[in-house]
Amino acid sequence: MSSQEHDEQFDLLQTITMEVAAAGDIGSALEIVLRRVCEKTNWALGQAWLPNKQKTLLQCGPVWLCGGPELAGFRTVSEKSEFPPGVGLPGRVWKAKAPAWIDDVREDANFPRAAAAKAQGLKAAVGIPILSGDEVIAVIEFFMREPRHENEQLVKVISAVAAQLDLVMERRFAAAELSRTNEILHSILSDMGDAVVVADKDGSFLVFNPAAQRMFGQGATQSSPAEWPQRYGLYLPDKVTPFPADELPLMRSVRGEEVNNIEMYVRNNKVPKGLWTRITGRPLRGANGELLGGVIVCRDISAIKEEEFFRAGQSSVLEMIAADKPLGEVLESLVLLMEGQSEGLRCSILLLNRDGKHVRHGAAPSLPEAYVKAIDGQPIGPRNGSCGTAMYLRQRVVVSDVTTDPLWTAYREFAKNCGLSACWSTPIISAQGDVLGSFAMYREEKRGPYPYEERLTCIATHIAGIAIDRQRQQETLRERDARIRLAAESADLAFWSLYPEQNTAWMSEKGRVIYGFEPDAKLTCESILSRVHPDERAKVKSEYDSACAIHGKFESEHRLLLPYGKVRWVIMRGHCVKDVDGKIIETIGVTVDVSAQKQADLQMQMQREEMAHRNRVSLMGEMTASFAHELNQPLTAIANNASAARRFIERGNIDPTLLQELLQALISDSRRAGEVIQGIRSLVRKETSVQTRLDLNAVIEETVRLVSTDIVSRDSVVTTELDPQLPQVDGALVQIQQVLLNLIMNALDASEGLKPGDRRIIISTRSERGDVAEVTVRDFGVGLPQDRPDKIFDHFFSTKQKGMGMGLTIVRSIVEAHGGTITAENAPERGARIVVRLPAARGELEKGKAAA
Amino acid sequence: MSDAEKAAEVCLLDDDVSVLKSMRFLLLAEGFNVRAFSNPEEFLAHANENQVAVLVTDVWMDKVTGLEVLARLCAISPKTKVIVVTGREDSAARATATAIGPVAFFIKPFEDEKFIAAVRGALA
Repeated sequence: MSSQEHDEQFDLLQTITMEVAAAGDIGSALEIVLRRVCEKTNWALGQAWLPNKQKTLLQCGPVWLCGGPELAGFRTVSEKSEFPPGVGLPGRVWKAKAPAWIDDVREDANFPRAAAAKAQGLKAAVGIPILSGDEVIAVIEFFMREPRHENEQLVKVISAVAAQLDLVMERRFAAAELSRTNEILHSILSDMGDAVVVADKDGSFLVFNPAAQRMFGQGATQSSPAEWPQRYGLYLPDKVTPFPADELPLMRSVRGEEVNNIEMYVRNNKVPKGLWTRITGRPLRGANGELLGGVIVCRDISAIKEEEFFRAGQSSVLEMIAADKPLGEVLESLVLLMEGQSEGLRCSILLLNRDGKHVRHGAAPSLPEAYVKAIDGQPIGPRNGSCGTAMYLRQRVVVSDVTTDPLWTAYREFAKNCGLSACWSTPIISAQGDVLGSFAMYREEKRGPYPYEERLTCIATHIAGIAIDRQRQQETLRERDARIRLAAESADLAFWSLYPEQNTAWMSEKGRVIYGFEPDAKLTCESILSRVHPDERAKVKSEYDSACAIHGKFESEHRLLLPYGKVRWVIMRGHCVKDVDGKIIETIGVTVDVSAQKQADLQMQMQREEMAHRNRVSLMGEMTASFAHELNQPLTAIANNASAARRFIERGNIDPTLLQELLQALISDSRRAGEVIQGIRSLVRKETSVQTRLDLNAVIEETVRLVSTDIVSRDSVVTTELDPQLPQVDGALVQIQQVLLNLIMNALDASEGLKPGDRRIIISTRSERGDVAEVTVRDFGVGLPQDRPDKIFDHFFSTKQKGMGMGLTIVRSIVEAHGGTITAENAPERGARIVVRLPAARGELEKGKAAA
Repeated sequence: MSDAEKAAEVCLLDDDVSVLKSMRFLLLAEGFNVRAFSNPEEFLAHANENQVAVLVTDVWMDKVTGLEVLARLCAISPKTKVIVVTGREDSAARATATAIGPVAFFIKPFEDEKFIAAVRGALA
């Protein structure tokens, strides 16, 4: 093949490829191929063969091309011929699915049209299959006037050209198929309830089915996607925010996204009440995966949605009940929920008063206020409107025309003024069977309830029953609570619960005050325990644990230490709530603040001690005073008489009888004074007769305690050094205490002038031989007269300004009455030391010996 | 001593007879016109009928206190000057006595000179 020939063939291929690509259908494409091949490669005739519908025979196609009219004869023969697979040139190509070449048709055995070809002078021929996949969809054949050997190159070119045809043919078949599918789709789309919208890449609608038109209005009018939300009334589930155009499911599918179950609210001219739709979208792609557009299917879910909202509404009313919202609010929400379920429906709830005889307003947000006011407080009865009668009869009362129904005789005017015609009322009955109120439905048209309205009534009365019942229980609880709280507050009672598992605790308001917690502080078992006084905390905790474990209850009296150091006395009582395994779930109890009582007790005790102290101290004082008075009388008389005698003598006219008398008086008064002193001793001796066995160490400690306030107020310190082996003594407790008191008070007096640090008194006991108990009171004061320290025991001797000089006299009397001795000496460094020795009680000596 | 002093009667009241007598001796030695009572009722009866210039009385007595006697004396003989002697330092007694208005207040045992001066002062 020359290079020119080659170029021509290439040129042919290029031309045909371009022209076929531009051809609209298989007919014109075939014509192009036949003409161009004949023109460019000098074939005299070209024609096409197509299989019949049954694909059993090849028939001559409508298009053919030839170099001159002289070939019309062969064309006619061809048109009349039909070839089964394998027969003739077309049949052969059809069967083999491969090109076939005949050098000279006149000499070919399998060429039925040989006679016609001979007559027309056609010699060489070639048949080329046009394949679509594996199927031969056409065969084209070409003839030449001269015989020729197979030209492979030419066959290749023509085959390549045929392959171009294949594309066109395929397109034609596909189009036919598509139109069939379209028909089916169209019928589905028209009849289906779901809206289907298909858009191409530019957002132009390809499909907008009748359901879509019902939902969105006319879709045929094209507009930019940005306008869709407004144009078609598309909103987010909040029902007011326009759906963002970019986020529209159709736009997302067009962009190539898969979109599933998007909920959208639609409200437009077509659906003025609005509807809910759930949308699924898919992108549309070509055979090579390129994006062609998108499709969405929109299902109307308004019914589901309404049911869902209704249920949510019920749930929210039940939540309000659970949250103990005011009954009026709960019932109003319930009524509004019910009214929302049906156009033109108005509802009301009436409550039955606790007297069981009158109605009270419950909720009627859509009824005129005047009507509501008129009904409030009306009695119930057998002919008292729908509600009063329903409550009275405990059964549903349906009045379809209030203007004629006898039950409404008394209320007709009210209803008329409000434009109400029908009123159906159902009693609300508690779980215990008590009538709580009624739920009524009103309509402006005269009719009875529809089934769905009966269903609403059932739900409404059920929920209202729960709400009213609960509120009544709450009221009762609140009243009881208030009473308990009142009692608790006035009794200073704290209520508390401990939850050891969760380590949380609850405490009443009063309790928080008692325990010193902030009103909103979070409480735990530990935080409550932490308020127990540190000295008692461990004890209280272990008592609590063991008491709860063993008895399931607990009682303890202890102190609390509050922040800022305040101390409270409390009694805590609790009992445990256990689960089936015996584990403590909760401990509930009360704490009583007994601080005031405790304070009073302590005060009382202090007063008692103070009193005892005063008594003891003043006994001595009184004894002293009384003795002083007793002595003062004779002393005064003595002084007066002596003075009178002197005066008479000074005047020099004294009557001897008078003088006698004066002297006699002097003698008897002196004697009398002596008797007074004697009297002290005998008094002491008389009291000593009531004797008990005494532990002097204990008596000392008790006595020091009695004067502790005096010691503190005088900035003094009394220390004791007590011999535990000290033998007991027999004695009158009060008198021995008097002795000790007197010695201590004297020592305190003696320390008065010292620096506070030196105001020390040491009381010590010891027993040298076991038969004598020795008590020493030592001070660091001025000490005793150097010459005769024991002068202090003389009557009327006093180193003190105010002292009468009787104290130590009495002390000595007491000690001596007990068979003991008392001595006074100056201590080595300074101060005085008074030593009292008392004989050990009988039996003590033996005991001491036995111990030794 | 003036005649007026001699004429005016000084009464003594004390249930302790030895003290009573000793005071009488003391005042007699000084030349006063003295009348002694150990029973308050007797004294009051006397005072009701006689002019008593000065009363020297004890506070603590068995049957009735000196303060009570003073109160009643005040009604009978408001002009009688009163000197109180007591065996006991008693602030309450002193306050009440002061309120009634004695001219002097002595605690036993007292100094003879001061006592006599007080009686003399009361008579002046």
